Amino acid sequence: MVFGKKKKIKWIIVILLSVVFIATIASIIIVSQKDLPTEDLRLAREAISLAKEAEANLYSEKLYKESLQMYDSAMVNWSRENNRFILFRDYTRVINFAKKSKKKADDSKEESIKKADNLSKNVEAAFVSLGKKIELYNKLFKDLPLSKSIFDAHNKSKMFLSESKIAHQTGKLKEAEVLFKKADIYINHANTAASQMLRGYFNDYSKWKNLANDAIAASRGGNKVILVDKVAHVLYVYQAGKAIRSFEAEFGPNWMAHKERNGDKATPEGNYRITKKKERGNTIYHKALLLDYPNEDDRRQFAIKKKKGLLQRSAGIGSLIEIHGNGGKGFNWTSGCVGLRDRDIDELYRLVSSGTLVTIVGSIEPLSVVTKGLDF
Amino acid sequence: MKSKLIIAIAAMGVAVLFSSCAKVPQAEVDAATAAIQEVKDAGADLYVPEAYNALVDSMKAANEKIEVAKAKWFPNYTKAKATLAWVSQNAVDTKAKSEARKVELKAEVEAMIVEVKALVEENKALIAKAPKGKEGREALEAIKSDVAVAETTVTEVEALLANGDLIGSNDKIKAAKEKATAIKAELEEAIAKKGGKK
Repeated sequence: MVFGKKKKIKWIIVILLSVVFIATIASIIIVSQKDLPTEDLRLAREAISLAKEAEANLYSEKLYKESLQMYDSAMVNWSRENNRFILFRDYTRVINFAKKSKKKADDSKEESIKKADNLSKNVEAAFVSLGKKIELYNKLFKDLPLSKSIFDAHNKSKMFLSESKIAHQTGKLKEAEVLFKKADIYINHANTAASQMLRGYFNDYSKWKNLANDAIAASRGGNKVILVDKVAHVLYVYQAGKAIRSFEAEFGPNWMAHKERNGDKATPEGNYRITKKKERGNTIYHKALLLDYPNEDDRRQFAIKKKKGLLQRSAGIGSLIEIHGNGGKGFNWTSGCVGLRDRDIDELYRLVSSGTLVTIVGSIEPLSVVTKGLDF
Repeated sequence: MKSKLIIAIAAMGVAVLFSSCAKVPQAEVDAATAAIQEVKDAGADLYVPEAYNALVDSMKAANEKIEVAKAKWFPNYTKAKATLAWVSQNAVDTKAKSEARKVELKAEVEAMIVEVKALVEENKALIAKAPKGKEGREALEAIKSDVAVAETTVTEVEALLANGDLIGSNDKIKAAKEKATAIKAELEEAIAKKGGKK
């Protein structure tokens, strides 16, 4: 009886274990036939890697981040499914996430390449445009008596442009763009301030034109007339309506202004007369032609400006404006006088006499001619 | 005979039971993750980006291998462990490479700072010798301002270097060197022309 019961138990165990064994084998077969997301995940990962190589994290940030998120979601879901009982696992969502991740990574790579290409072209075009602005500054404004801030802005712009070019060469396009924008801000500041200064100065052009025309007309009777063009840095001697001689001239450092007071280093503009010829020994500047600055108009303007409080109460109108020698230094060095080379003042000294009309203007030519038609 | 069969089936059951209980190599995963973080903290993503990206990619591959193993009835983490070991080992190498690159870059920047400073001084001396001819003092003033900008850039680079921004300081000092070299060439050309005229 006992033997029969034991035998029965043994058989039950055998049957149960056989069932477990068969179920296990069946599960293995079922599971092995299920589609694992391995290949999809590998493809997604590789696509992400390629997107990163194409710097999609920089140029297609949104799509790239989405592809990473999709990949992470795929991995989280895969892990979650793996934690379920083997027969109940479903990798559909995992595969979907992996496929979406790959698609986003591919798209981000493509977008990144396009954007980087466009950015590179834009930066290159910007270099050309910035180069033109720097060239414009060098052609038009470099020799003007600009303030230090304008000077510095121009030079900073050049430095940022150099940095931008280096960044561009090393493929750091975004950095190149940022640096280029900085360079652009500085050069625009420099050029705008300089052009405002130049345009502002030329507001008096019609007045200068009349003064110059009158001076030339005054020479038609046979008298010699001196006409000084400050922008061109040239002193002309006119006779019979024609320029018979011309000399390179230098002025004060603040030459792009009409003299208003003593010590302003500006050269006056208007009609003056030579009041005295100073031979060597009577001047420290080789030879000199003293002008009658300040004239009536200068005195009137000085009084008005002082009354309006535009000049300091202690300011004097200044005097001793001359055309003298010691020039040819290549820069504007006088205290407001007109400086010529010694050989030129020698010649001029012989040509003119006391009482000769001296007309000093900002420019004989209009701004468009001075700037050679350059757009600024 | 029957009892042998029972023992065999029971052994198989035990084997199945134990096999399905093989654990994820969490210690290796944690070690590799920490190693990558350490490498990133060492700036490898900036200084040796390719090596760093390879590590990150391999870590992802290791995680996938773990899931592949987990998906099986009899998980086997040997491949995943091998990849994780590669990640941990290469993280050490990558960190060393990153540190070496940083040292190299720092030395490059410091050498260039010395070069640019010397160029700035040379330029200042050349300005004193430069002719004030045609373009005159305005041109020289512009050059002086250019030199001053290069000099200021050196100061900025030194500050960047002190803050550990090696890449930024490298790019900036290159630009300053380019600028200072160009100024020197310009001044030397002007002086040579002046000499030729005599």
